[in-house]
Formats: sequence, C-alpha cells, structure tokens
Amino acid sequence: MMHPEQVHTIIAAGLPCEHLQVIGDGHHFEALIVSADFVGKSRVQRQQRVNEILRGHFNSGELHALSMKTQTPEEWSAAHG
Amino acid sequence: MDAQQLIKEQVTSNPVVLYMKGTPQFPQCGFSATTVQILKACGVSTFLSVNVLENPEIRNGIKEYANWPTIPQLYVRGEFIGGCDIMREMYEDGELQKLLEGLVEPV
Repeated sequence: MMHPEQVHTIIAAGLPCEHLQVIGDGHHFEALIVSADFVGKSRVQRQQRVNEILRGHFNSGELHALSMKTQTPEEWSAAHG
Repeated sequence: MDAQQLIKEQVTSNPVVLYMKGTPQFPQCGFSATTVQILKACGVSTFLSVNVLENPEIRNGIKEYANWPTIPQLYVRGEFIGGCDIMREMYEDGELQKLLEGLVEPV
C-alpha cells in the first residue's frame, strides 16, 4: 500500500518533470508526467524510464498498477494551448 | 523449455498475443478487460490470449521478457507494443488500427 504522494516523490526524485500529477487509491495509480527527458523517445521507452524508477516497488508487490500519460513539454503545451 | 523460450515461441508463432489476467470472456482485472475491448474494437477477434494467473512462470517471465513490470502486455508480429495505456493512446490516434491492419479477419 502506497500513498500517491510517495509515488510522486519517487518519480520526481528519479526524473526531472515539468508537470507531475499522481492520483490513486493506494493500489492503482494514475500519473500525468511531463518531462523534457521524453523527447525523441517512444511511448514504450517513456514508460520504461518511469517503470525503472519504480522497479523495486513493482517487484515487491507494493505497487500494483500505474497508469501513465507521458508527454514532452511541447506535447503538453499543444494539448493545453 | 524455460519461460523466456516459451514466451519467444508464443509471440513469434502468433501474429497477435495478449498476456492478461483471466480470459477474454472472463477478464480478472480491469486493465486486461480494457485491452480485450480495444482489440475487438480494432476488428481483431481471434488472437492468442495467455492467462498469466494460470501460469506463474509466465507471469514472472513476461515481466523480464520486455522489461515491463505490469500485465496486460500486447505483442504484434513478435514485437512488444505496450500495456493498457499505450494501447488506448494508440487506438485513439488510429495507430493501433494501422498496426493491426492485415491481421483483421474478414467478417
């Protein structure tokens, strides 16, 4: 069982984010992650980057599911005008 | 055959493979259910589905195979495509339909 704030802190520590939002019920989480680090990376590569940061928590079963929307700052601005 | 070899065999000998929790008829997880719906919406009615809940070795092995920690996972023509979020985004952008073109059975 993890708190959304914990997940937020762990992602933020491992990846420089322009925007980061994490919500969840302790088992299932949803995150919006906007990072310049995603530029030039495929969707799979972006999620792998985030999964890598959280690997230990996935392996321990503490974190069951994290649904992600991964965007570059440019994609984010385009979507939010 | 160890789990890695078995997975390789499955994904290369079947054009569309979905590793999921439960079966397409009775999914045991909301994310797995969504991925089945997306495949159906793309017109793919027959695909190999592997219920990881019945096979602990595959359940663990599949996480290593694509370095992807969660299930469901979709493979098309032997290539790892993604999990539920990626399938949904690709479907919304029309990319998944394109990828699956030619694998859709005539009605």
